[in-house]
Amino acid sequence: MVVGDIATGTDVLVIGAGPGGYVAAIRAAQLDLDVTLVEKETYGGTCLNHGCIPSKAFVTASSIAHDAREGEAMGIHADPAVDMKGMRSWKDDVVDQLTGGVEKLCKANGVNLVEGRAEFADANKVRVAHGGEGQGSESIEFEHAVVSTGSRPVQIPNFEFDGEHVLSSRDALALETLPESLVVVGAGYIGMELGTVFAKLGTDVTVVEMLDGALPGYEDDVARIVRKRAESLGIDFHFGEAAQGWEPAGEGITVRTEDADGEVSEFGAEKVLVAVGRTPVTDTLDLEAAGVETDERGFVPTDDRARTNVEHVYAVGDVAGEPMLAHKAMKEGHVAAEHIAGEPAALDHQSIPAAVFTDPEIGTVGLTEAEAEEEGFEPVVGTMPLRASGRALTLDDTDGFVRLVADGPSGFVLGAQIVAPEASELVAEVGLAIEMGATLEDVAATVHTHPTLSEAVMEAAANAQGHAIHTLNR
Amino acid sequence: MGIREFKLPDVGEGLTEAEIVGWLVEEGDAVSEDQPVAEAETDKAVVEIPSPVNGTVKEIRAEAGEMVPVGDVIIVFETEGGDDAPTETTTAEAEPVEAEETAAAERAPDEEVPTPEGRVFAAPSARRLARELGVDIGAVEGSGPGGRVSDADVRAHAEDDTDDDPAAVETEGVKSATRKVTDDGAEAASADAETGTSAGTVAGEAADRERTLAAPATRRLAEEQGVDLNAVPTDEERDGQPFVTPEQVTAYATARQDAQAADAAALGVAGEDERVPYRGIRRTIGKQMERSKYTAPHVTHHDEVDVTALVEARRDLKEVAAERGVSLTYMPFVMKAVVAGLKEFPYLNSTLDEEAEEIVLKGAYNLGVAVGTDAGLMVPVVDGVDRKGMLQLASEMNDLVEKAHERSISREEMQGGTFTITNFGAIGGEYATPVINYPETAILGLGAIKEKPRVVDGEVVPRHVMTLSLSIDHRVVDGAQAAAFTNRVMEYLENPSLLLLE
Repeated sequence: MVVGDIATGTDVLVIGAGPGGYVAAIRAAQLDLDVTLVEKETYGGTCLNHGCIPSKAFVTASSIAHDAREGEAMGIHADPAVDMKGMRSWKDDVVDQLTGGVEKLCKANGVNLVEGRAEFADANKVRVAHGGEGQGSESIEFEHAVVSTGSRPVQIPNFEFDGEHVLSSRDALALETLPESLVVVGAGYIGMELGTVFAKLGTDVTVVEMLDGALPGYEDDVARIVRKRAESLGIDFHFGEAAQGWEPAGEGITVRTEDADGEVSEFGAEKVLVAVGRTPVTDTLDLEAAGVETDERGFVPTDDRARTNVEHVYAVGDVAGEPMLAHKAMKEGHVAAEHIAGEPAALDHQSIPAAVFTDPEIGTVGLTEAEAEEEGFEPVVGTMPLRASGRALTLDDTDGFVRLVADGPSGFVLGAQIVAPEASELVAEVGLAIEMGATLEDVAATVHTHPTLSEAVMEAAANAQGHAIHTLNR
Repeated sequence: MGIREFKLPDVGEGLTEAEIVGWLVEEGDAVSEDQPVAEAETDKAVVEIPSPVNGTVKEIRAEAGEMVPVGDVIIVFETEGGDDAPTETTTAEAEPVEAEETAAAERAPDEEVPTPEGRVFAAPSARRLARELGVDIGAVEGSGPGGRVSDADVRAHAEDDTDDDPAAVETEGVKSATRKVTDDGAEAASADAETGTSAGTVAGEAADRERTLAAPATRRLAEEQGVDLNAVPTDEERDGQPFVTPEQVTAYATARQDAQAADAAALGVAGEDERVPYRGIRRTIGKQMERSKYTAPHVTHHDEVDVTALVEARRDLKEVAAERGVSLTYMPFVMKAVVAGLKEFPYLNSTLDEEAEEIVLKGAYNLGVAVGTDAGLMVPVVDGVDRKGMLQLASEMNDLVEKAHERSISREEMQGGTFTITNFGAIGGEYATPVINYPETAILGLGAIKEKPRVVDGEVVPRHVMTLSLSIDHRVVDGAQAAAFTNRVMEYLENPSLLLLE
């Protein structure tokens, strides 16, 4: 009894164990498919290892340091010392716990785990090169494949990441010592989150941004509150200036920028963090060999079942296009797995929430007023400023608002923009309302706990209907 | 202008592919509906394939002489119409499907309901129900506040469809979930319930309705439990039709299992079967075995050889080898002996190129050595055995075997073999029928070396004896040649000093 060339066969091959990939793998295994999950690095992908989780761990830690320092109005006097090594090791524990959990869940659900870098050989086969010399490689034949290789930080000219002077977001989350000063290139959500973290820990932060303001893509009043708070933390903003290059200067570096008129400015700092966006990892897979097409930005176009142009190959998560969010990836992974198993699954959600973990946080979901109008609705808007919220006052955190957007004639909730502490949590209620087809009346008539921030959602709904109690109606 | 892709239709008899004999049109030609555009040959006849549209031939995707799987696009038409017409095959006009035979879970992917472009206000659960029932939720009129679509709206819509368009029921079996129960059906059910059947001993006697209403979750539960919904007894009704609840399904399934268990106990059957998925390497091995066994007519030649001298030689050399850090087994001796045999009988070191109708006598002597691993059988290949010394063979083979056990072996290291050796003697067997590592032509199986009585110079003495089983592809090699080859290998194994000449 002999066999020659071995190519392992599997029903579903998942490439990449990030939030899209591991969800797809586990769900497919739950549906009795034979699943093989290939990961070249660590389970959990960018989100768990280099993104959401480590950055949110630092957001929490830096806020504790900052709040302790700023508690005098409440009669608390403290002078906290930040031990960056200790903070990092706590963060690493959190990450390890989660990545270990993902691996365990995969195994417990019967997913075959393979370590290595996968490359398509053809539309039904990949070659997996195992890490390290002499570790060999293997072929895996598949009935269906799910591509979930994620994204990596974008580099800009003259700012090659070196982990020492020029940091990517990933490097910044692995620092062992706190830099005294930091230039952040880019005032998008990653730059703003990390800029806030370092400012709260005591670093001198300067942000340079090519565009005219912070957080492009968010409405002006949303971005303004966050920028103002950042300024009050001591962050120095320079808008309309493009980073041109850097050179070593003493112990640190000098970053050179140029504005539209060609005027050059220089900023000295210990390090520079480049956070100008992320680009999909689709160049290492030889997608062409499988016949899978990518667009001009490297994303893989997919349909509402997460399928690529090749019917049995699916793409989920960052590789499948904007928004590059872990929860979008998970949903897509879920749908891909169920569709492969013959379940009637589809990407038919009405909205995807998004959160920025600045201070205060931003939580958005669904449509803005302008977008609702563009889609042909007759939008009505209800707002609850946080300064009218009892809970916000007791948190000593009253910058911000909850704004609901709804369709006037029908009352259906269409969207929300929330700037508030815990906005990332508050937005979930509105997401549920949108998916359920709830109306303003439904939200306003739901009894909310007092005193909580979530009351502001109820109040905003009442405000849109003209019968709010705690604010003046429009 | 529209584009119409045309897939090779099911040409009948459940055929999965057909040969395109020739094209009757060229790219750029104008065609009219039903005009023959190609001829395809099945195993029964040559059939003409007609154009499904009026238009122009934009692209021909299959060449004359090509075998094309049913469902592949063979030609693309440009049509006069405005919108792109959907891709079509004649299977789309398939015969009506019996409603009973289909269920939501069996819905083919191409019957998918598209997600509507515009916004529809409905809960995710209602959207899923719509997909399950094959309803375009965008077409459902919502009865909730502001026109919100509820589960009930989706069901009502599905039912309306059924009433309005009986054909829809025939082709879209999923809608049977909401088909109305006819009076006949209901009567039949009650009649059966009265008369009872052999299953009458089962608590919760089986009903026999034609149609039953139930929620999708209940249908799934029934499927999971292996229960026919129409057999589940119920006295509940919805809109005057029999309606089954999850509790009833569970009760019925339990009663049935109890009855089966009782039957099994009565027959003295004990224990349950365990079902292990046939997947991964096991399936790969299986497919390869099947291919080999069904392609190459196997004949196995058995013999036994006195290897007493070899046992002694190996015992002496083993220590020398160990000093040089190599563990010496019998395998390198066998490999050398096999290569000596193959040089004399090149047809055993060959491949049959069926397409070219040629036998390829291999110039290289690359021997595969079958290794049983936890994952299944793997065959690492030692290249150029004729050019390597005994210790080098031993060391290379040991490395490869270890890699195979660790599953770190690469595909390249299992490729390019010309002949294979498998050692079932390692687990004590004497004879077996090894399956050829196709497309090789022969495989040698080694039995265990055991002490057996042999007659030497007229006296019965204990000798070390090894058994050999050589399987050949009888298309290429005949029995006489197999025996001659085996004899030559045996000669070397009997007199290992001959190997010095190799």
